[in-house]
Amino acid sequence: MKRELESIEILGESDARVRTWGVLEAAFAERQPVERPSRRLRIAIAVAVVAAAVAAVLSPPGQAVLDEIREVVGVERAQPALFSLPAQGRLLVASDAGVWVVQQDGSKRLLGPYREASWSPFGRFVVAARENELAALELDGDVRWTLSRPGVRFPRWAGTETDTRIAYVDRAGLRVVAGDGTDDRLLAPAGDVLIAWRPGTPFVLGQLWASELRQQNVNTTRVVARASAGAAFNQLHFSWSSDGRTALVVHPWELRLVDPARDTIRRVSLRSADVRAAAFSPNGEHIAVLRERELVLVDTQKPRARQLRLFAGAGPLEGLAWSPDGDWLLVGWPTADQWVFVRADGKRIRAVSNVSEQLRSRSFPRIEGWCCAP
Amino acid sequence: MRADRDERARVRGAQRGSVSDLEALFRTHWPRAFRAAYLVTHDAGAAEDIAQESFLAAIRALDRFDRRRPFGPWLHRIVVNRAIDWTRARKLRSEVELIDSMPATEVTAAGGETFTALARLSPEHRAVIVMRYLLEFTPGEIADALDLPRGTVNSRLRRGLDALGDEL
Repeated sequence: MKRELESIEILGESDARVRTWGVLEAAFAERQPVERPSRRLRIAIAVAVVAAAVAAVLSPPGQAVLDEIREVVGVERAQPALFSLPAQGRLLVASDAGVWVVQQDGSKRLLGPYREASWSPFGRFVVAARENELAALELDGDVRWTLSRPGVRFPRWAGTETDTRIAYVDRAGLRVVAGDGTDDRLLAPAGDVLIAWRPGTPFVLGQLWASELRQQNVNTTRVVARASAGAAFNQLHFSWSSDGRTALVVHPWELRLVDPARDTIRRVSLRSADVRAAAFSPNGEHIAVLRERELVLVDTQKPRARQLRLFAGAGPLEGLAWSPDGDWLLVGWPTADQWVFVRADGKRIRAVSNVSEQLRSRSFPRIEGWCCAP
Repeated sequence: MRADRDERARVRGAQRGSVSDLEALFRTHWPRAFRAAYLVTHDAGAAEDIAQESFLAAIRALDRFDRRRPFGPWLHRIVVNRAIDWTRARKLRSEVELIDSMPATEVTAAGGETFTALARLSPEHRAVIVMRYLLEFTPGEIADALDLPRGTVNSRLRRGLDALGDEL
């Protein structure tokens, strides 16, 4: 049996080995080796540490320090409410109450009881989804049109000043509808797909079907290009650079930069498998990577260079958005109930507390997008 | 014995930052790690990711690794558990509709009858066969690695072998 299992030929194994060694070598280069003390010294240190910790915890001052450590979660001197955004544009946020638009001056408007939403290409409208309905909304909450479909999710709007399309997924599959709510069509049957409109090429929808990155002109329904995005295990997110040349596929342990024109993949290995989200900066020069407890910046021209840490927090972070001018990043910090605005050069941080309460939510509100300076 | 000593020396070297020692560990253990993941998942892309991620996990845990333990079984245990998780997760996703439109996999296998027969087993049965006969774990070690009663391991081995025998 052993001989038979070992004799199964796996074509391409050596390429896989070379790729993996490249990833490991890069990860190893970033690791700082730890000098290990001798065994006897380790035991002595361990005994001393345990004794000190027990003594500290049992004493009243020690207990007070522990309590204080537990309580210090979040950015100090955070504003108690969102008085303004640090950059131009508006936020789209989904809370338990529904979808909200947050204006630059901090004012908020609840658009309605929708589950998820995204901006129209120029930020003048919002497309929102709830269980069995897709809706196009004005920014004051007025409903332009609705479409009843089962299990609507993942709406994405793209196009020009005069002609737009909305892609979305329902139980039947991947669908597209014109921006005025007409001509709703099925593009592909149901399956596990991530979608993102390709910038610079109106009506070309990028679709990540497992390891294949497919580009389809939704008007002609013709698939105009196919490229490999590498092994499909654990894909979190898929998006495009603003020039539409590079697709970013996010995995928990690495970023893959797919150039569909050349059918090549550049892999940016990350030290641990804790990536939550990643997004290109508006000018495409950087990728912000949100890990479980930190926000780092990767230079797209030098992806193997040291990553710039912009922010680190003591609890899980979630939600990531670039400001439209690319100067600021917004990150959510649920355990602190804070939004943290971080300047992309790492030199300033602004935080806002009581986010859930302000958006009438028991769970931490989800950041759906930061769009479009007026 | 000599091999064990060499491996401990390589782990120690890697812990101190030696790339050549890490490479030696990688060269020794990659073939079986990749093959084991492939035989459980039957998906070459997933096998590459699983083997790669298992090695990355090993690098991350290198400073805490107990050098008295053998490196290979520790790594292979991670690989097989991840491969089983992947296979279970994939079963939950409907990929049936995608088969026509999927590109050719980056890596393909030419395994003949054994490979085909193995594919007909459940991932749990494939995993114990692979651990026992490719990775050479004892039934007790398999039970420990997969967190299963030893009787379950033995019955899966028996049933798996019977099914393979029927197919072959």
